[in-house]
Amino acid sequence: MDETEELEPLFDYSRVQPLNPISLDDDDEDVICVVNKKRKTSQPVENEKQGHVKAVEVVDLDDDDWLPPPPKISSNDQKSIDEDSILKKLRLKKQELASFAESAKQLIESFEEAAKVEMYNSMQSSVDDVSEKTKEPSERAKIIISLQDKEGAKQIRMFMDDKFERIVKTYAEKMKCDLKQIVLCFDGDKISLSETPASLGMEENDIIEVHVKSR
Amino acid sequence: MSGIARGRLTEERKSWRKNHPHGFVAKPETLPDGTVNLMVWHCTIPGKPGTDWEGGFFPLTLHFSEDYPSKPPKCKFPQGFFHPNVYPSGTVCLSILNEDSGWRPAITVKQILVGIQDLLDQPNPADPAQTEGYHLFIQDLAEYKRRVKQQAKQYPPLLL
Repeated sequence: MDETEELEPLFDYSRVQPLNPISLDDDDEDVICVVNKKRKTSQPVENEKQGHVKAVEVVDLDDDDWLPPPPKISSNDQKSIDEDSILKKLRLKKQELASFAESAKQLIESFEEAAKVEMYNSMQSSVDDVSEKTKEPSERAKIIISLQDKEGAKQIRMFMDDKFERIVKTYAEKMKCDLKQIVLCFDGDKISLSETPASLGMEENDIIEVHVKSR
Repeated sequence: MSGIARGRLTEERKSWRKNHPHGFVAKPETLPDGTVNLMVWHCTIPGKPGTDWEGGFFPLTLHFSEDYPSKPPKCKFPQGFFHPNVYPSGTVCLSILNEDSGWRPAITVKQILVGIQDLLDQPNPADPAQTEGYHLFIQDLAEYKRRVKQQAKQYPPLLL
């Protein structure tokens, strides 16, 4: 209690300074301030100035009832409020511009998005076209197999359902020998030409041995 | 125990499929009902090119125990196989296959097979396992060589 009593004169002292409207205990003042703010935000520039002046007059009238504030201060107050309103306006403008920029950006983004989607769709459709044409190969599983002869091993890529006939033909062409001279062998068993990696249960990197018969 | 042996053999098989020397075969036995018995492997060792053993593809069976790889597998050629270091039963006598001598758990199936291929042309007269092969190798090298070449013809490549 003592503390508040000591503080009271401080509050009174502050009443004398209308520069700080928030510290004012006056309800009327507060209301006016709020009105001012509202006007600032809602009204166009010229009207606001007029309304502002009016509001200030009202403040003066009200203040007469209580403590007549020195005109200097009131003018200062007006100035500050004017500045304030200008700042507010600037801020609003800035916000407006920012929001405008934002919306513009969004617009551009949405355009880009749309373009991308369009591109993707067209790509997809073209891919679809391709895959429709060559659907089977793209779905066929591939396998890498080591083809080992006496010289060493070579990695070859083939489809799981590719017949080994193809490998033998390729190898025979490379070695310039007859197809019948070449024998492929997996795990000690001869691979017949009609077999495939899948039918032999082959796994990635499994070795196939190539034996070349001399005659 | 069996888990260790089977796990190791699974790995051995996997690595063999990816990489093994040309002409060699090593695969676990497939039982009539289609299941795979990892404990017995049927292998083929090709005779080294440039030796009297060339052209032969010698069948070898590896019998792994539940104690593998602490203990080596028993490696068997067919009964009566002609070689100074092969017992009449066909069992190979080789230091790296001897639990009390050169065997180490880290020795792979590939190393075993390559080791036996080397042994074919480089018999160890200090450790004979059969009389016929040993005596001919020591006393009649010409006859020994003839027998080796003859035996190579007995085991032609199955697939060619």
